Amino acid sequence: MAQQTVRQTIKQVKPILSLDKEEARKRVVSLYKAWFRQLPYIVKQYDMPKSVEQLRDRLREEFNKHQDIKDVRIVDMLVIKGQMELMETVNMWKQKGHMMAYFKDTWEPKPKDFLSKFLSGKD
Amino acid sequence: MSYFGLDRIFKLMKTIKDYGGLRASLYKLYRIDNLRPGRLVATDKFGNKYYENNAYFYGRNRWVEYAPKYGLDYDASQVPAEWYGWLHYKTDYLPSEDPGRPKYKWMAEYTENLTGTKLQYMPYTTTNPKIQAWVPPSKK
Amino acid sequence: MLRTALGKALKGAQLSPKHARVMSQQPKKPEQIEVFIDDIPVKVDPGTTVLQAAAMVGVEIPRFCYHERLAVAGNCRMCLVEVEKSPKPVAACAMPVMKGWRVKTDSEMTKKAREGIMEFLLINHPLDCPICDQGGECDLQDQSMAFGSDKSRFTDIEHSGKRAVEDKDIGPLIKTIMTRCIHCTRCIRFASEVAGVDDLGTTGRGNDMQVGTYVEKMFLSEMSGNIIDLCPVGALTSKPYSFTARPWEIRKIDSIDVLDAVGSNIVVSSRTGEVMRIMPRVNEEINEEWIADKSRFSYDGLKRQRLVTPMLRDNTGELRPVDWEAALLTVAKQIKNAGANVGAIAGGLADAEVLVAVKDLLNRLGSEALCTEHTFPMDGSGTDLRSSYLLNNGIAHAEEADFVLLVGTNPRFEAPLLNSRLRKGYVHNELEVALIGPKVDLRYQYKHLGDGTDVLQQLIGGGHEVSKKLKSAKKPLIIVGSEVLERPDGAAILAVIQKLSASTKAQEGWKVLNVLHKVASQVAALDIGYNPGVDKIRENNPKVLLLLGADEGAIEKADLCDNTFVVYLGHHGDHGATIADAILPGAAYTEKQATYVNTEGRAQQTLVAVTPPGRAREDWKVIRALSEIVGAKLPYDNLNEIRDRLDEVAPHLTKYGEAENANFFKQAQDLAKNVKTQLDCTPLDVKLKDLSDYFMTDSISRASPTMAKCVQAVLKQKQSKF
Repeated sequence: MAQQTVRQTIKQVKPILSLDKEEARKRVVSLYKAWFRQLPYIVKQYDMPKSVEQLRDRLREEFNKHQDIKDVRIVDMLVIKGQMELMETVNMWKQKGHMMAYFKDTWEPKPKDFLSKFLSGKD
Repeated sequence: MSYFGLDRIFKLMKTIKDYGGLRASLYKLYRIDNLRPGRLVATDKFGNKYYENNAYFYGRNRWVEYAPKYGLDYDASQVPAEWYGWLHYKTDYLPSEDPGRPKYKWMAEYTENLTGTKLQYMPYTTTNPKIQAWVPPSKK
Repeated sequence: MLRTALGKALKGAQLSPKHARVMSQQPKKPEQIEVFIDDIPVKVDPGTTVLQAAAMVGVEIPRFCYHERLAVAGNCRMCLVEVEKSPKPVAACAMPVMKGWRVKTDSEMTKKAREGIMEFLLINHPLDCPICDQGGECDLQDQSMAFGSDKSRFTDIEHSGKRAVEDKDIGPLIKTIMTRCIHCTRCIRFASEVAGVDDLGTTGRGNDMQVGTYVEKMFLSEMSGNIIDLCPVGALTSKPYSFTARPWEIRKIDSIDVLDAVGSNIVVSSRTGEVMRIMPRVNEEINEEWIADKSRFSYDGLKRQRLVTPMLRDNTGELRPVDWEAALLTVAKQIKNAGANVGAIAGGLADAEVLVAVKDLLNRLGSEALCTEHTFPMDGSGTDLRSSYLLNNGIAHAEEADFVLLVGTNPRFEAPLLNSRLRKGYVHNELEVALIGPKVDLRYQYKHLGDGTDVLQQLIGGGHEVSKKLKSAKKPLIIVGSEVLERPDGAAILAVIQKLSASTKAQEGWKVLNVLHKVASQVAALDIGYNPGVDKIRENNPKVLLLLGADEGAIEKADLCDNTFVVYLGHHGDHGATIADAILPGAAYTEKQATYVNTEGRAQQTLVAVTPPGRAREDWKVIRALSEIVGAKLPYDNLNEIRDRLDEVAPHLTKYGEAENANFFKQAQDLAKNVKTQLDCTPLDVKLKDLSDYFMTDSISRASPTMAKCVQAVLKQKQSKF
């Protein structure tokens, strides 16, 4: 192989659902809206000791977790998973425990530096 | 008259009147879920009232209505020990008439079941601590 | 017992102590004899017993009365083995081998002999296993299972029954249930040979034989606890340990004893997070198989008078418990205000890690006022030359000496294991001992040369009667006690002794000058660079004084300024904690992995047996946390890093188990010529003269009720006429 100029190649991959970022964005937003509208019913049906406000904050957090993803296929997969979760939630296939699991218990992170380990007496 | 069931209606009206009117009867129905006529046998020191009506069959002729202070949170452990026997058909004697009841000065005051409340029993250590800490000598 | 002995056999058994370590050129080895043990040929020196020869091959012969470190008694008869062509079985522990013998340890006759002996022993042995402390570690149990018969033929129980013997009272440490005694006489031999206290003996003969002191007398020896280990049955057991634990519940951890400067190797047995007992570990170079009573029994002081939370003195003058943050912040504030005006005093139980951490911290703050409680003369070579302050020759070789001069020391109570070695030399090697100091009872004969310093002058001059012996000895030892060097004329005494040791004609590799310390931390502190003696603190008058377990009272509150802030970092509430303004609880020696250097200069490490109680932490970690808050953060976070720092400071501190060869004696003697002080006229004295002084010398033993009972018992025994 003689010297070849390096050409910028764009890989073409098989899309999952959306073809470009705009379409993916639309899907994400519609998923968000669907969840948002379902939240008050979730609180009532699952008898959750949380307010709708708290559920809304949590929903926002979950979506913001993946805000830096560039690959459209990953976004599509996440949207599909979100839709599956929404279906399970709406049809009451889940239980209260599954919904409460979205709200993890607070735990103290393990002490890492010397002084915190010393004061807590561990290690 | 009984063929048409009218005497039941009269019985119902009488029961309502005995309980002190429609409003009280409705509250009773809300609280206890039934509205049975009965003869008040006695009241205990917590305020629970004991009723008897032998028109009902054995097992349903004696009952207790818990004191109004309990509201909707009544439970069976609020019946004190002296009334337990009568209520559960162990004896036909009322506590005031029973000759065999013992009375000792060490008998404690009756408490209901405190599980789940702040006053519940929490196990504690009864052994000596393994390490004796140093007590600094006081200046005095 | 079988397990440990088998272990020794597999390693290549030690013969009698005389053969253990011979330094000088050996006489020509006599020709070895070939013997057949179970058809395995083995070549042994003449004079080896059948039992020792079998141990060399790996064949374990059961015994009760034989012990490698004691004289051979041969009275239990359990070691009977068949020797071909001999009509009677032969006692393997006592019979020296002959050429060509074929010994059979698994023949019918041997087996029958063992079963028979076991049957006889069990005839009068009470059925005490469920209530006996030795259950689970009992030689009789193990050997009856291995070698005894399965059926009992004892029908006498329905007629005259078993013999019973009264218990003897020999002190608050040893519980005697003499019914269980099988008369192996190990205790008698130990008391007479190793401890030097000839109080135990046998009374009566045959079935009526009883082992005891005959008159009710306390067994007054500082090594009395070792007969508990020696007794193969539960006749002699530890009184403080009785009915507390069974051997299978116990967790064992190797460790080092720090209550004196010998550094004997121990095994700390613990269960459910508390120390149950302390047993010795075999270390041929330091403590053989023995440990002293204080090390063995003062573990119950670890549970009393402990500092479990940090404390601060509030404005009413009372010490109040606080949490770590408050305590550390207060101490750090005081240190920051003091600047470079900080001092530290290292106590007797401080480990090398905390010593190095404190030195690093104080040096970073700009202070050099780090002191030990015990003084050492700094004139002449001072602590710069290691050989000036170590027991240079080693504890093990003390038994090979042929002349020992003790100056101002009572090794019997300051280092009982060194004394037992000297006694061993006295018994086996015709050692002559001379002592300059108060007339004390060393349990062996010695020449008392008086207690004045003029004796030293005479010895140098050569005019003393003993000088000739000193000069002609090939392996002389001069052991100086550290108390004598704490006197104002200590430098002069050390100079005289250095001159004296240089004038001897010891053989190559033998070190004459030895210094015996009394506390476990002194050598490590001097190695790391602490100033011996609290004079530096007295001069500098620091604003913050850090006491690392310093309870001897070298500095009193009256010696310091009013506004000195005293911080005590230790584990017991003793003298130091009462004068402290802030208390930071540390860990005792069973609760931390720490390095201690014994008086020979051998570094050893203790391991964690139980966790520190309450809110106590490991000592060096407290200093590290304090340094972070003060602002002079120390560069180590975990044990490996601080041990790397120890390695940087002095490499021998992490070479565990080895004693470095220190030998700048000539140079030390040259520097000693600059010493200006003169010898005082005051007589040389020691603090520990009597057994009652021995038991309570440091904060752990002072807190121990067992030690208090010992002191009471010794004082009571003085009243008795025996």
